[in-house]
Amino acid sequence: MAQLVQAILLGLLIGGVYALMASGLTLIFGVMRIINVAQGAFLVLVAYLTWWIWSRTGTDPILLSLVMVPLMFGAGWLLYHGVFRRIRGSTPSMSVLLSFGLAILIEGALGLTAGTRFRSATPSYFDESFRVGSLALPKAQLYGCAAAVLVLGLLYAVLNRTWAGRAIRATAENPSGAALVGISASSVAALAFAIGTATAGVGGAVLAVLYPFFPASHYDWISRLLGIIVLGGMGSLPGALLGALVLGMAETLTATYGSLRWSTLVFYIVIVAVLLLRPHGIFGARLREDG
Amino acid sequence: MTRRSRPGTTQGTAGTVPVGWLRRGAIGLALLTLVLYPVLRPDAAYPQTVLLMAFLLAIMAVSWNIISGYAGYISLGHSAFLGLGAYTAGILSVRWGINPLYLVPAGGLVAMITAVAVGSVVLRARGHAFVIITIALLLALQVCAVNFAGITNGSDGITLPLPSWPRDLQNVPFYYIFLALLVATVGFSAWIRRTKFGTGLVAIREDEGKAAAIGVSTTVYKVLGYAASAVFIGMAGAVYAYFLTFLNPIGAFSIVVSVTIVLAALLGGRGTLWGPVVGAFVVQGVSELATVQSGATGGRLVLLGAALMLVVLFLPAGLVPTLASLGSRRRGRGGAVEYLDQAAALQVRPLEVRQRHWPDAPADAGGRDAQPLLEVRGAVRRFGGLVAVDGVSLTVAEGSVTGLIGPNGSGKTTLFNLVTGAISLGRGEIWCAGERIDRLPPWRRAHRGLGRTFQVTRLFAGMTVLENVVAPLPQFRWRSLAADAVSGPEAARARELLDFVGLARFADQAAGTLSYGQQKLVELAQVLMLEPRLILLDEPAGGVNPSLVERIAAIVRDLNRQGITFLVVEHNIPLVLRLCDPVAVLSAGRLIAQGPPDLVRADPVVLEAYLGVDEAGFEPASGSGRGTTGESG
Repeated sequence: MAQLVQAILLGLLIGGVYALMASGLTLIFGVMRIINVAQGAFLVLVAYLTWWIWSRTGTDPILLSLVMVPLMFGAGWLLYHGVFRRIRGSTPSMSVLLSFGLAILIEGALGLTAGTRFRSATPSYFDESFRVGSLALPKAQLYGCAAAVLVLGLLYAVLNRTWAGRAIRATAENPSGAALVGISASSVAALAFAIGTATAGVGGAVLAVLYPFFPASHYDWISRLLGIIVLGGMGSLPGALLGALVLGMAETLTATYGSLRWSTLVFYIVIVAVLLLRPHGIFGARLREDG
Repeated sequence: MTRRSRPGTTQGTAGTVPVGWLRRGAIGLALLTLVLYPVLRPDAAYPQTVLLMAFLLAIMAVSWNIISGYAGYISLGHSAFLGLGAYTAGILSVRWGINPLYLVPAGGLVAMITAVAVGSVVLRARGHAFVIITIALLLALQVCAVNFAGITNGSDGITLPLPSWPRDLQNVPFYYIFLALLVATVGFSAWIRRTKFGTGLVAIREDEGKAAAIGVSTTVYKVLGYAASAVFIGMAGAVYAYFLTFLNPIGAFSIVVSVTIVLAALLGGRGTLWGPVVGAFVVQGVSELATVQSGATGGRLVLLGAALMLVVLFLPAGLVPTLASLGSRRRGRGGAVEYLDQAAALQVRPLEVRQRHWPDAPADAGGRDAQPLLEVRGAVRRFGGLVAVDGVSLTVAEGSVTGLIGPNGSGKTTLFNLVTGAISLGRGEIWCAGERIDRLPPWRRAHRGLGRTFQVTRLFAGMTVLENVVAPLPQFRWRSLAADAVSGPEAARARELLDFVGLARFADQAAGTLSYGQQKLVELAQVLMLEPRLILLDEPAGGVNPSLVERIAAIVRDLNRQGITFLVVEHNIPLVLRLCDPVAVLSAGRLIAQGPPDLVRADPVVLEAYLGVDEAGFEPASGSGRGTTGESG
């Protein structure tokens, strides 16, 4: 019983981190219909930067996200204006290919500059745990999840309480309607892309502590994140949250009662099962398909 | 009225014949060179191997093009099928102790079965889940290859027997096997493009909802397209395993190979027959140079990624189409747009309607026994908080021309979409000819004789007018998938229909170049190709040249006389009152009146709906406002 509770608890902690990572992806898809396959590469890029600064200065890796978020926000804004804006209006498949190219470019560049060895940031607390009765709460997971929940809360507040956030939501809901009431589609898209990329600033910093990584790790990450948003329903933030928790649980439960190496597969099986019952994902609204 | 003596096509074909011969000659020459190369230069082992790898890449790019080029569903994990074929050959050849080349068909079969299984889950819905699942498939197979160590030998990999031929032959046999497979793959792809199946795939790419509405069983097509794009890669994978003599999970299920496939096809020209082949040779050549120059994997990835981004940004159509359009511009063959021959269009040419034999049909086909053909019972459909259709019950009697009017936003088009299956019904039932149809997919409803036109025309802009009219499929038959896209009798019937709507001379023009009103008529001809018993017309006169409105009315009457039932949504009230009996009125998602036109016109509830709800509305009885604009011709 304690083992089960432990597994569920760990699953929730990991799921929180996944939710943060997937939120950027689903936000960008919701607003721009761009499947940003480079999101995984952004995470790994940030993880490398975090690891590098941590190993030089010893600054706490998770705190480093305070630096990474503005950095990635700027990078996202520039990327949108320099690259993604050019394919506005073309089919979503072109944006997939474009971001896929970007992901591979980042992977190659990381391989050239940082080598292909596994890295991991290991601050003093990385293998310590808080003990509550018979339960063990690893500090790193807890801090990571706390950072994730904080950022998700912030994201929620921005989207719901600020004018810019409402503009983003309006554009996601009805682009032409938003344009009619004076929302500039291009600046909203740039903002959403920048915010989506900025979430990778926190996600990557947490990743650096929680998981070992190397340049090609981004495939693993992006496939998990994409799985989460397919499961939850593409473009839906609550869907991403739910999908992330399901993935977290699937991983810890398979690791506890089976073996970790099957956890990815278990997650894919869950996705297939969900798609069989609900072809558009759990929260996926069928888009209006009438002309 | 331009150039009456010359149909629009001759000028086009006059230029293409020599170009076509030139192209065929170039392809023949290139093939001959490739066939003779190992004979003429038997010692050039390295160039042979580079070419061999280019063949393999071309096989994969041409295959990828079937699902991602023709049908437009991008697969980012297509090397999964190479790995599946390779592992099939590897495992079985070691286990059974046979030559891997005997296992080539098995490799193709396994790849195909996997594609059908995955496709049947993912391709049922439209949208973007497919691309994601293709990546997941590749990585999941990698995990499987590592984890099922009992079968696959895990990360340690599988070592295959060495080639059975003398060593001094080196890779020459592989060279010829891959070349033969490439020729077969290109032939397969060319054949698909010429069949009904190929046209269906292109229709899905251009407009999936429309394709379903004209009877294309989109799910079956997509799944088959995915399988067709897997089978030759699976076969090549079996040969590839033998060529490598060693397999491991990371190498066999490689995402870099997937990207290279995509890059090759995109660079050459997605959706074209030869583009992927050209692209594969270019990409293989450049990547070979890059490997020789730098050697580091990181450098190759940077190059690959940057190349993919640049192609998407600056050459999205690909090399082959871009060069072709440059060439045709130099030769000065712009397709001259012809204008509608008004006089000819306004002539009513007789058409004999073809009715299929419906099992429930009464003995005399045209009999107006006022039996309901379509019955909507308590239909409800919500979009979030908005109830677009709120408990509508409506019957359309067989042989009638039923009108459906109502202010903007009253739910008319939504009701159409519910009846044709473009959107799913929330609550209620829909019956057609005594059969409940609200759970059937759109194409099965089309097969049951339900045809529709769209408020804003949705022709396949890239296809010619004739191809558009031939595209509908009155029924699903496996046999017809392999039939010629434009067969003789069909083309003849399509020309008859185009004649009927007065547009026969535009048959070979791209549908996108026609005017809006002309497109409406083509869409009607397209629907008639379905041999429907009920046609739903969505604003047939909306935005149409006034002189054509009468033409459309005459066509509807003529078809109705021959036994086709109509349900017409129209804002041109005088037209509705003359054409339709009975008339039904929707307001705010509810049916507020139904009956003969005169009764409906005088109904105070109807007047209030128009005047009270819709401020910009009009008064139907006096025929003022919007109603008259369409009528003034």
